[in-house]
Amino acid sequence: MRSGLTRSIAALFEDAHQLGSLFGRTLYYLLHGKREKGSVARMMFEVGNKSLLFMCVTMGFIGAIIAFQTGLQAKKLVPDFSMIGATYLKLLVRDLAASLGALPLATRVGAGIAAELGSMVVTEQVDALRMCAADPVDYLVVPRFVASVVMGTVVLIIGGFVAYLAGMAVAQMVFDVNPHTFTNLSMVTTGDLTLGLFKCITYGGAIAIVSSQRGLATFGGSEGVGHATTEAVVGSCFAIIVLNLIISTLGYFFVPAL
Amino acid sequence: MSATPSSARPLLAIPRRIGLVVIALADQLGGAGMLLGQVLVRLRPRRIDRYELFRNLHRMGVRSLPIIAATAAFTGGIMVIQAAPFVEKYNAKNFVGWAATFTTFRELGPLLIALIFNGRVGANNTAELGTMKVTDQVDALRALAIDPVGYLVVPRVIAMVVMMVALCVIGDAVALGGAVLTADLLLDVDPRIFLSSALERLDTWDFLVGLIKSLLFGLMIALMSCYYGLATRGGAPGVGRAVNASVVASAAGVFVADYLSTFVLE
Amino acid sequence: MIRLEDIHKRYRSPVLRGIDLHVPAGCIYALIGPGASGKSVLLKVVAGLVRPERGKVYVDGEELGELDDLGLASVRRKIGMLFQNYALFDMTVFENIAFPLRRLYDLPDTEVRERVAERLARVALPGTEDRDPSRMSGGQKKRIGVARATVARPPIVLYDEPTAGLDPVTSQKIYDLIRDEQRAQGTTVMVISSDVSGVLSIADRVGMLHEGELVFDGTAEEARDSTIPAVRQFVHGLVEGPL
Repeated sequence: MRSGLTRSIAALFEDAHQLGSLFGRTLYYLLHGKREKGSVARMMFEVGNKSLLFMCVTMGFIGAIIAFQTGLQAKKLVPDFSMIGATYLKLLVRDLAASLGALPLATRVGAGIAAELGSMVVTEQVDALRMCAADPVDYLVVPRFVASVVMGTVVLIIGGFVAYLAGMAVAQMVFDVNPHTFTNLSMVTTGDLTLGLFKCITYGGAIAIVSSQRGLATFGGSEGVGHATTEAVVGSCFAIIVLNLIISTLGYFFVPAL
Repeated sequence: MSATPSSARPLLAIPRRIGLVVIALADQLGGAGMLLGQVLVRLRPRRIDRYELFRNLHRMGVRSLPIIAATAAFTGGIMVIQAAPFVEKYNAKNFVGWAATFTTFRELGPLLIALIFNGRVGANNTAELGTMKVTDQVDALRALAIDPVGYLVVPRVIAMVVMMVALCVIGDAVALGGAVLTADLLLDVDPRIFLSSALERLDTWDFLVGLIKSLLFGLMIALMSCYYGLATRGGAPGVGRAVNASVVASAAGVFVADYLSTFVLE
Repeated sequence: MIRLEDIHKRYRSPVLRGIDLHVPAGCIYALIGPGASGKSVLLKVVAGLVRPERGKVYVDGEELGELDDLGLASVRRKIGMLFQNYALFDMTVFENIAFPLRRLYDLPDTEVRERVAERLARVALPGTEDRDPSRMSGGQKKRIGVARATVARPPIVLYDEPTAGLDPVTSQKIYDLIRDEQRAQGTTVMVISSDVSGVLSIADRVGMLHEGELVFDGTAEEARDSTIPAVRQFVHGLVEGPL
């Protein structure tokens, strides 16, 4: 058990190092790389098209559930529901739209990136790129990174909006709060918006980096591709949760909520 | 593309696509439902392959423990941070324990654990069954008069459900630890005050709701991942497609189950 | 042109165990050996795609181990490579073949078109520019791979199993293509093949790998007449022997 624990901690540091190095190279090529016409646009379409429907469905359910839980909790503390919308919207903007939405996003986008890059590795296409002076980070990772940051943010914002509508519906039906009372933005500050947006961007980037790293590290045929896909989904979800704790802590100190 | 009728009549393209999605969805839901029936019929303690069961319990549960525990610890911490501004504003230090654990136990703990479990165990399960399917090992079992559902599916379903519930209990404990630690460090809330607030205001029911949910999530992931695994077609690339489809379908299934159970288990 | 000194590489078990090898300029060097003997890894070491744990790799006078990513990229400009599984990209035939030209040189579009058309004519697939390689036969894919490997006119070309899975007639055509190309351009060529008799018909020199060691290195005639048991067995396809 002990050796197992030390080994997993060592593996964690190794992973963190690999991810940091890939992130560094991605930023380098983002600034100095050779632009490939249309590749970013194509990846953006891919990311958005692949995840939008899934995101709307899951965020609809999540929004309904969170509104219900918030209502239950509010009922125990204060007798009236007049502030439930304001509180819900604040939570949504500051954290939940980004942090909960990023998990389905990771499932969909992360798995796609890892499977695609993984199968390029096992069919030697990545080696072939290297032989053609196309660095895989420059040619493959950078467009995915940009697409995931931009479209990930867009899709998360749309998901957040769906969650807001779902929450409004639940508040109306279960707690008898009319949509007008529910739509109360008085508690949402610019700081909340900035923090939420920053989270979206960070998660989008993290999904691309973690999944690309797993994909490019694939070895051993199609079984290896399956393995890389799994690791990409789990790794991206875990990265999101860790980043959430870090950003939320920083936000607590530097972006006061109330 | 030009050969498909949809592009010949652009007006019909969208309803046609929706129809295809609905048919595929009905097919998959029906398939997973049938599998559930087949599993239930075979649930007789003596007929379950013990070795397969224990192997799967170990593989699925014990080896997922580190990542699940880490997830839970972080979740506990995050919930305290989210509650923090309200605690400070209303000076409600004796509420923070309850506020953080209520949502974690009832909702976020089971949900996040299920999503990680899905990515790790569910996907692996589909990949394994899918590989067996495309390499004709499933047919080989049939040829040996071994029932594939009884031998392969039943132990996996039991293992996933049991382990999902067990991981949820452990996850709750770890999340509580993470929450206590964060509250102590960040908000200067004494651990004893935190725990007493959590214990006083939480019902056993709040805890049980989480467990019932994880049972449902485990069942959902188990059925979906086994169904997609056994429905794999088209060689090695087919396994990749099946894994992807299974992860997405299970995640969607978990959200739907969560939604329904949240309202039923008020 | 290519010189390897004491190359060691291991993954889980040792794959290459102290390889010394020299390929003179303008020579076709055939690398033969049973499956999993380390041939592909050796070729990737030459291309700078795999870094050995020990030993030195000289390509056109430069030692790959001392180069950073940029230096490696400039060495790879001099190397064209055909991969075992074609490694064709998910693009049209034209885009596949034009890819190295576009990435390596800044040529006007008309010249790129001309060079691609010239290559396709050379590999006997003229006018296939707009086709999707994934819908073409194995032999056609190999020939597109050859066209892509040679389009930038690199002084060194590496072929990994150019004829695996092809019928004898197509195989011979590919070998003739490799030979004619090499004679016309004066390039240095390394070819991996399991099809010993086919590859010996075009090779100037032959090396045989067995369990990570170079057990033979000489001319094609010497390989045919070799008395080393493993080489004799492999070259003549005998059942009896140490393999």
